Amino acid sequence: MSLKKFSELFGDLDSINSTNNKIEVLKNYFLSNDPIDNSWAIYLLTGKSNKRFISGRYLKNLFSQIYEYPQWLIDTCYLKVGDSAEVITLLLKNKTNSRKKKLSNISLNELLSQTIPALSKLNEEEKNLEIKNLWETLPEENHLIFNKILTGTFRVGVSIGLITKSISKLINIDEEIISHRLMGDFKPSIDSYEFLINKNINLQELNSKPFPFLLANTIEDKIFKNSINDFQFEWKYDGIRMQLIKRSGNVSLWTRGQELVNESFPELVEKMSNIKDDFVLDGELLVWNFKEQIAFDFSLLQKRINRKSPTRSIQIKYPIIFIAYDLLEINGRDIREFKLENRRIELEKYFSKWQIKIENNVSDIFKICDLIFPKDWPDALTFKEKSRENNTEGLIIKKKTSIYSSGRKKGIWWKYKVDPMQLDAVLIYAKGGSGRRAGLYTDYSFALWKDKELIKFASAYSGLTNIEIKELDKWIRKNTIEKFGPVRSLKPEMVFEISFEKIQISKRHKSGIAVRFPRITKWRKDKKINDADSLENAYELMKKIS
Amino acid sequence: MRTKQEYLIRYKDGNLYCELADIWIDPSKPVKKALITHAHFDHFTFGCEEYISTKETAILLKERVGDNIKIKTFEYGEEFKINGINISFHPSGHILGSSQIRFIFAEEKWLISGDFKLQKDQTCKQYEIVKTDYLISECTFGLPIFKWDESNKIANDISKWIINSPEKTSLLFCYSLGKAQRLLNEISQTNFKGNIYSHGSIHKMNNSYRELGIDIKETIKIENKKKIDELKGSLILLPPSLSKGSYLKNFKNIQTAFASGWMSIRALRKRSGYDKGFAISDHADWDGILEVVKKSEAKNVFFHHGDSEALSKYLVEKESINVLLFGK
Repeated sequence: MSLKKFSELFGDLDSINSTNNKIEVLKNYFLSNDPIDNSWAIYLLTGKSNKRFISGRYLKNLFSQIYEYPQWLIDTCYLKVGDSAEVITLLLKNKTNSRKKKLSNISLNELLSQTIPALSKLNEEEKNLEIKNLWETLPEENHLIFNKILTGTFRVGVSIGLITKSISKLINIDEEIISHRLMGDFKPSIDSYEFLINKNINLQELNSKPFPFLLANTIEDKIFKNSINDFQFEWKYDGIRMQLIKRSGNVSLWTRGQELVNESFPELVEKMSNIKDDFVLDGELLVWNFKEQIAFDFSLLQKRINRKSPTRSIQIKYPIIFIAYDLLEINGRDIREFKLENRRIELEKYFSKWQIKIENNVSDIFKICDLIFPKDWPDALTFKEKSRENNTEGLIIKKKTSIYSSGRKKGIWWKYKVDPMQLDAVLIYAKGGSGRRAGLYTDYSFALWKDKELIKFASAYSGLTNIEIKELDKWIRKNTIEKFGPVRSLKPEMVFEISFEKIQISKRHKSGIAVRFPRITKWRKDKKINDADSLENAYELMKKIS
Repeated sequence: MRTKQEYLIRYKDGNLYCELADIWIDPSKPVKKALITHAHFDHFTFGCEEYISTKETAILLKERVGDNIKIKTFEYGEEFKINGINISFHPSGHILGSSQIRFIFAEEKWLISGDFKLQKDQTCKQYEIVKTDYLISECTFGLPIFKWDESNKIANDISKWIINSPEKTSLLFCYSLGKAQRLLNEISQTNFKGNIYSHGSIHKMNNSYRELGIDIKETIKIENKKKIDELKGSLILLPPSLSKGSYLKNFKNIQTAFASGWMSIRALRKRSGYDKGFAISDHADWDGILEVVKKSEAKNVFFHHGDSEALSKYLVEKESINVLLFGK
């Protein structure tokens, strides 16, 4: 039951491409390890927590100190590797031939529940000594895992879905149930693992957990062959997707990221507690413009997300609303198996019941989403094009007969997003990537014209194919004007089409504008830099939208 | 300090050149006289009037490009003179026949390391420490993150990788000359006792190695229309050029791996597109390069082949060794 086994699991998962093989490897791991180690493994693999005990920088400095390595040499290595934990692991190789007795039998549980938490109680000097000691006593094959956990960068190509599947196969219980058990808080313990693999499918403990979310897929052309009457149309809001749960009188707000956020939105919790019924609602939390009855920009919502116990004035300045899309459970009865159209009837029925009672006083913080009724598909397209006017991202299209299953199920729900805005911009800076893009220049900055000058307006790193990335990397190395650390300024020559979702005034940027989700959509080799757009074009675009 | 032109060996048109002897080292374009360190194609070009190499390199070259070249050969350690310069080949441990080349003129010693490694390799002569005043060294892996495991450990990993997937055909990509033979030699000493197939280009080199007295395990030359069942659980060695494109469609239910020093880095492993990477190299790692620089007792060092910025700075700062720039 040693840490070594987990290191091997990590190595296997990291090098296997086939999903079935990954499931097989996970199953075998769970079968051959203690419940407690399994519980920790699930905790790490599902990314339930990635607490950072020390920073990557700290780790590098410490190594540099102990082994008298120049800092610049470690930094150069980092550019090639792209991950502090891995750089130090590679540099530690054959460095730790100390005579100390090896901790060859340490378990994952011991490391995570004792050894690493104990570090936080030490002062800096003791902590450094202890990390050095661990480097010398942990067998070499565990260094990568240890360094990654220390720096909170443990990640491997395994989705929650995959973990769900392997547990489901292990005990022969439906994935939906496992997925439900994995929702919400997960504290590693023997109990939490036993709960996961319990063969009894009606467990009380599930009451404290949100249901697995059902997600929409990107629209497919084949949908247009269906009758428009088969579908329910909603606006696609840009807020926080959430389940609002009231069970046995207690309200809890669970985000799609499975975080409990009651403390950030106390006014919602308070008001919803007034309702007599118990329920589970699926919906969206937004900062709401009550005068115009549309959502405020997502940036305002950001002012509330990370603020616990917001003051009264913050609550007034950024007023929130919960818009319910769906009713999943009512007074203890799970209705996810109902057809959507029937769930909608229930949702409307209960909503009007709750609203009528003045003492509930929920109408200023809770509503159900308005439906849209396009006559035909071209009409749906017209609605979609109008979605920017009311600050939504497009439409959500749901099959009226769909039951509420989990995950990104195909052929049930679709998102029909408004087309992005685009500008052609000139590449002016490049920076080395990290992770799997290490050693390549993959983070780019783009500029627009202002008179005769190129002004930076956006940074983007996604959208190019691997072949294009390699080609551009070569070009970047040949066309560097200056190097500033990891950043290179480049000869202005390459033009790219940049797409983004939103554009707004920003005082923080030299360009005076900020864009949301910028990404590269085309390498415009056909264009010269003089064909690129100007800041004026960007301002015009902004005017057109608002 | 001397100017570039006054060095015995310098860069000319991107190649190493000794003006006094009018001789080029591993030139990339046709010249009159070329010294060849080893038989990899990036160290050889057609059309030179005369080639000079070790006997093994000459035989491997002829096997690869035909008998139509004029090669003069010398034994390791055997000195020969061109325009008053004493020249000799010394084992570099890279592949069979690979050599370092030493020049002595007016009591000044120059050493070109060629591609080299210090690790044990039963398919070629061990690297020989040669003392010199000037060292021209490769530095393909000139960063301390490169630290090779013993090759038998890697061979055992490869063996485990094959044995653990008995339903699959394991394709291991590696350079046809040198790496393939070293891997065969190592793998034949592991627990894996199944069939080993090799691509024609590798098969040919295996035969040449055997003719030169190196013990290489017998492999089956891969035919395109082999039955799938026969290949299940076996190992196939292929050159990296076949990893992309339609060749792989000849096989069903495969797992792929690449054997290269670059595979020690996770990001490169992921980007390479192979299922697995085995970090084994015929070049020296960081410690290997440092050891050669120290033991050669060179006071002046030049680097080529690879990014030498960090290595140069380190030697100057930490070891007070004079690192010179050729200027290409």
